Amino acid sequence: MKILVCIKQVPDQESRPMVNVQRTWAEYGDKTAYWINRYDEHAVEEALRIKDIMPETSIDIVSIGPQRVTSAIKRCIEMGADQGFHLYYDRMEYVSPSLKSQLIAEFCRNRKYDLILTGVMSEDTMSAQTGPMIAARLGIPSATSVIKLDVHATGGYIRVERELEAGHRCSLDLALPALIAVQSGINRPRYPSFSNVMRAKNTEIKEIRYDMNVPAGRYETVASIQEAASERAGIRLEGSTAEKAAALWQLLHEKSLI
Amino acid sequence: MCEQSGGRILPITYELISCAAQLADYYHSRITTVLPGFITDPGAVSGADLLVINSPGLAQYTCEGWERAALIAAEQIRPDIIIIAHTSTGADYAPRVAAQMDGCCITSVCGIEFFEGNIAYRRSGFHGKLDLLYRGGKPPLVITVAPGAFPPHDQFAEPGVINVIDMDFCPQFTSNLQFNIPDQSNTELEDAEVIIAAGKGIGKAENLQLLRSMAACFNRSAIAGSRVVCDNGWLEYSAQVGLTGKKVAPLLYVACGISGSPQHIVGMKDSKTVVAINRDPEAVIFRYSDICVVEDLEKFIPAFIQEAEKRREEI
Repeated sequence: MKILVCIKQVPDQESRPMVNVQRTWAEYGDKTAYWINRYDEHAVEEALRIKDIMPETSIDIVSIGPQRVTSAIKRCIEMGADQGFHLYYDRMEYVSPSLKSQLIAEFCRNRKYDLILTGVMSEDTMSAQTGPMIAARLGIPSATSVIKLDVHATGGYIRVERELEAGHRCSLDLALPALIAVQSGINRPRYPSFSNVMRAKNTEIKEIRYDMNVPAGRYETVASIQEAASERAGIRLEGSTAEKAAALWQLLHEKSLI
Repeated sequence: MCEQSGGRILPITYELISCAAQLADYYHSRITTVLPGFITDPGAVSGADLLVINSPGLAQYTCEGWERAALIAAEQIRPDIIIIAHTSTGADYAPRVAAQMDGCCITSVCGIEFFEGNIAYRRSGFHGKLDLLYRGGKPPLVITVAPGAFPPHDQFAEPGVINVIDMDFCPQFTSNLQFNIPDQSNTELEDAEVIIAAGKGIGKAENLQLLRSMAACFNRSAIAGSRVVCDNGWLEYSAQVGLTGKKVAPLLYVACGISGSPQHIVGMKDSKTVVAINRDPEAVIFRYSDICVVEDLEKFIPAFIQEAEKRREEI
């Protein structure tokens, strides 16, 4: 089986996005730590689980971004993926999923992937679009919010379970080739193994540069960005731990909650 | 696009019409609601025209079916904007519709504003830390609207015209559809007046004991967890509060070690009083809290329990 996993490198959860001077995008300080978008990491793990069951499976990783994303691609190889591809793009601005999906669809042409996996959304922009858009452009079916995936290779389909609202689930069979956007909770990503770390050292990540110029006004843009407003008053308790505990008890007692 | 279940138009559709009404005012255009399904007797929609895309192949939701129905409707109506609910269904097919039309898509819109003389769409990003205003590109624009972001439109408004297009369709890629409603009932949580909720910040499953002890200080209390806590197996999914879990509105919600991602906030934002305990002074959860405690919960919760015991003895 030939699998592609699309990943995005994002600043980690502790990072503090700062609105840039023009108020059109967020910047991160030099000390920011980056990691694989959590949902994409689950997608990589799901590919590895398929490979555990079907050893003839090959897993390619692709990511769009500046030079630093190669470290995220490398991490996927350390987890057990086979090859890495870096679609180079280094402008620090909002990039429409419409454009990203075009680039990845272009990358996929003639590579004949049976299954494309990606996370349901990214932790930064949280659009949840790129996966389904890639599938639409390739003319293949897709399913999102997937929490269980079983491959029926001989039958040429996969059985997936999708998460719906209020804890409901549905399951369906989807013909291959297909694209699946996975939700966290589908699996627990593994740590890199020593042998794969060694292999990753000797694996070249191929860099590809596409012409990414989009005519102005073609796709959606971010016009303005700002700190999210507070929805509630948010009284901050002061003092020592014991003093704060007493203050909280008092406030709750006054509201007849305790 | 209507949200429907068994051919019945769901209430969230009226929130979409409300959003459309704001845009229709600005663009001076008509609103058409589109209902894909296997519909024998379409009821009219208040405040908008209705276009039914009818086929036995649409008796159950499939991504390919809804995508095709939306594209057929778009061919007929030639819209500038297509509005879809940001639900597990809407988010499944909306981006595909945009890609097929080579348009663009803005998801989980929670408000419409004017910015520098143009319509802009507000949504949340960066773990909920930032608010972003988007502008559409070349039409058609597909937007998905966050549930609850718009009030429902007047359901006593004049109903519009009904048209039906019969679509020749049978799912090509999808089969063996089954629905599963696992027993996730959790009456203790659903009836609770006080909920103590655990987030990733509790660090380890063992710390749930602290939360249970804190819950014991209150009457009619229960513990709950964010998605991460349930994914880790520390709590059952029946205890999950959030977008894909339960929505709760207790008298008191105590968020322990919860960062405050939008998906979690959706599940508890109607709580009467919210207290958040978090080590990170800039945690997003504090924006949604009435009382903010910047503390390590491993130290603070025992201190609170001690205080509660002391006060109980005084009485």
